[in-house]
Amino acid sequence: MADEFIKGMALFCGAGLAWMVLAGWYRTPSFESPRQLIAAPPEPNTVFDAIGIFLNDVFFWTAIIGALTFWVLIPGLRQLRDSTSPA
Amino acid sequence: MTDNDTQDVETDGGTGIVAPDDETPTWRERKERTEGLSRLTYEYFERARSEDESLRRESDYVERDVLAFPTWPHETVRNLALTSFFVGMIIFLSATLPPHIGDPANPNSTPAIILPDWYLYWSFGLLKLGPLNPELAILGGQKLMADRTYGVLANGIVVGAIAIVPFINKGSARRPVEQPFWAAVGVFGIGLAFTLSMLSVKNLMPMNVDLLFDLTFLVPPIMGIVTYAVLKTMREGYMYDLNRRYYRLRPPK
Repeated sequence: MADEFIKGMALFCGAGLAWMVLAGWYRTPSFESPRQLIAAPPEPNTVFDAIGIFLNDVFFWTAIIGALTFWVLIPGLRQLRDSTSPA
Repeated sequence: MTDNDTQDVETDGGTGIVAPDDETPTWRERKERTEGLSRLTYEYFERARSEDESLRRESDYVERDVLAFPTWPHETVRNLALTSFFVGMIIFLSATLPPHIGDPANPNSTPAIILPDWYLYWSFGLLKLGPLNPELAILGGQKLMADRTYGVLANGIVVGAIAIVPFINKGSARRPVEQPFWAAVGVFGIGLAFTLSMLSVKNLMPMNVDLLFDLTFLVPPIMGIVTYAVLKTMREGYMYDLNRRYYRLRPPK
């Protein structure tokens, strides 16, 4: 169980850190505005910007779904399997 | 250094596991620790304990009461790893998210909203407890003291409560799961600091101010109760027993 926890934690922290950096680049018009990290991204001018904006969403959902997978889904499936298996 | 023939403790290679004198794990308990992090933790504690035991046996010093890890290499390697991580994180964040430096402050104009630094928001929130200042019937509905005096007094009470903490004997427990009550008190305090901070910036909070005031004092007790319940439940786990045996070697109060 502890292994599953640290896997989910690593995904959550690592992907969350990458998301925070990319959102700080592309989705933060100003660090003094009340809408930081969540503002609409600009139209990409270069292919690198396009990749960055795309990866931003990828990392965001990796953090959410990765943590949910290891903290909820896999333990839940195990519980289910243990409770339904005979003996 | 009395003799070498009785010392047959493996300190490297093999599993390094020596059953403790007082509490030999059953085969069922051993089977539950056969893999992963639990295995690693178990081996680490058992090896440290057995090394300590052999050290005591061959030592002619006064017997040590406290089980501990040597500074080199255990503590040093661990501290170096932690230091490297945090230094790397600082370099990474300062390289990728350089802080924006705004215009210099204009000393000739007073901003519309004046706030202290963020770590003093809780104290600032305590100054806004006006609705809690009782109006006494004996004074004809007047208040005993001004709201601002009341707020300063509330600061004194909170600081006094924190100042008392070191003088309370909370036992030798080191981890929240060993003392759920005090852990719940701590979570209550942190929660209260946070909600008071939110109250202090009520101008900026996108919610009803009355509701915010009520939540400020309702949420922290709920957090404390939940913490207590969760920690009480966690005491059932295997790691709790393992660490309790380890911590039992601490000197009594």
